[in-house]
Amino acid sequence: MALPLHTIKDQFPIFKNRPELVYLDSAATSHKPDSVILALNDFSEKENASVHRGLYDLSTDATRRFENVRKKVSDLLGVSNPSSIAFTKGTTESINLIAHGLIRKKLKLGDTIAVTAMEHHANFIPWQQLCHQRGALLNILPVTKNGELNLSGIDSMLGPRTRLLCLTHISNVLGTINPIEEIISIAHRKKIPVLIDAAQSTGHYPMMVDSWDADFVVFSAHKMFGPFGTGVLYAKQEFAPYIEPLNFGGGAIRNVTTEHTEFLDYPYKLEPGTPHVAGVIGLGAAIDFIQQLDLAETSLFTRNLTQKFKARLHELGGARILGQPSNFGSIVSFQMENIHPHDVASFLAQANIAVRAGHHCAQPLLESMGVPATVRVSFSIYNTEQDIDKTIDALAALKRFWSR
Amino acid sequence: MSDLKTLYSDIIRHHNESPFHFEKIEHAPVVLRANNPVCGDRFDLFLTADQKRISALHFHGFGCAISKASASVLVKSLEGRSLHEANNICNEFIHFIDNKPLHAPQELTDDFKAFSGVHNFPERRDCAILPWSAMKTYLESKLGRNN
Ligand SMILES: Cc1ncc(COP(=O)(O)O)c(C=O)c1O
Repeated sequence: MALPLHTIKDQFPIFKNRPELVYLDSAATSHKPDSVILALNDFSEKENASVHRGLYDLSTDATRRFENVRKKVSDLLGVSNPSSIAFTKGTTESINLIAHGLIRKKLKLGDTIAVTAMEHHANFIPWQQLCHQRGALLNILPVTKNGELNLSGIDSMLGPRTRLLCLTHISNVLGTINPIEEIISIAHRKKIPVLIDAAQSTGHYPMMVDSWDADFVVFSAHKMFGPFGTGVLYAKQEFAPYIEPLNFGGGAIRNVTTEHTEFLDYPYKLEPGTPHVAGVIGLGAAIDFIQQLDLAETSLFTRNLTQKFKARLHELGGARILGQPSNFGSIVSFQMENIHPHDVASFLAQANIAVRAGHHCAQPLLESMGVPATVRVSFSIYNTEQDIDKTIDALAALKRFWSR
Repeated sequence: MSDLKTLYSDIIRHHNESPFHFEKIEHAPVVLRANNPVCGDRFDLFLTADQKRISALHFHGFGCAISKASASVLVKSLEGRSLHEANNICNEFIHFIDNKPLHAPQELTDDFKAFSGVHNFPERRDCAILPWSAMKTYLESKLGRNN
């Protein structure tokens, strides 16, 4: 039995501590349920040991629990092999690991990397900079007015010299859910590996990485009810031996002499130094929480909230929604006529409504859609229809305030 | 709500809706870009100045009501000023926004005082300061070079 959604908010203590809060910024970071907070505290209070080090119980327990989270992650992602899961600081670090630990050495003058125009800066800048450094070209798949990927040009864009295609599963600005399975198969026909930025989808949508046949998948724990500073890199087995660490130190090695270091295999070679053990344990607790949900139900629930909010914005008038993708998740970006997004966000903040205003770390996307900034609202399982009512009321008050 | 009324004072709203010298100047001798990478606000200040004085000043771009009004007040306050005076005025404004005023409030212009609501919205400080920091950086390097 899945956890019932109408009482799920009770599991998030932030709303007990701030009963007035209307939190519409889960795309930036989600709140944490009791169970995750408890797991983080429990670990510090009762175990608090590093992993792969001590021979005493605390450390062996911590190691066992830490390693067990690889299994939880692989189950969540729909991956059969837990050893394909490396722990990182987050999406950003995972992408940089692939950029500099793997692709860099393959990338020759005149080669190309393909990205889309709707990437978060975390999945854009590393590739742009790598291309600059290697004299390679960055190809950018455009986005239509509706805020969907324009797939008509993808065939000609992916060529024999394309070394990697990087794309987001869900746009953090428009909420567009991309047809990644279809895109992966197009790329694979041309023998091009694909990196999926799953920061906005993991934990919120059913993931089937093995069956999608994605080559790399990256995400952050903090966007899926888990702690900050912890994330994941999934890499398909065939690439694992070739991914080189960017950081060097203890823990990641098999043997060290004065001349040489022999590294452990993937994923351990990518995890030097004392890791964020509590963070990984907390990620495990977040996955346990997610496994109690029915993701088909929760994703429909947040989609319905989004749909309802879009309709209410439309009724309100004076709001322009950016994009209208046919397949969308729990995110919507909009502008209010003659009122700058920051002024909208400040106004809403006075009513305890937390939204995001700005370019949402996706400047190339906003530029391609001809807008400098938007207000972004994003929903999660703890949001309610009252949240929508309050926000629409506040926006109506904003319009009155601004037209006085 | 009352905080919002002080943040968006009448003077700020007036500057936001009818900004002073809000136009792009082709071939301006100096163009200063004031840009906030966090939020994407971006203004250009178009400046004509000799070694001593700012003879013409305009601005154009995109930003929230606070940063736009602030740029408008900047343009209105600095055009025609000597570089030294302009630099002092920049310092005056920035210190005022940071709650460390260099002078008593009664000595400040109404245009400056209109920004006092920002004190209750620390996250809007950067919006208010945006064009002034760009101008100050320019003036300091220019004055430094002249010395
Ligand atoms: C789609 C997407 N990719 C990448 C990131 C970056 O994640 P992190 O800052 O946790 O590394 C985000 C976070 O905003 C995102 O939404």
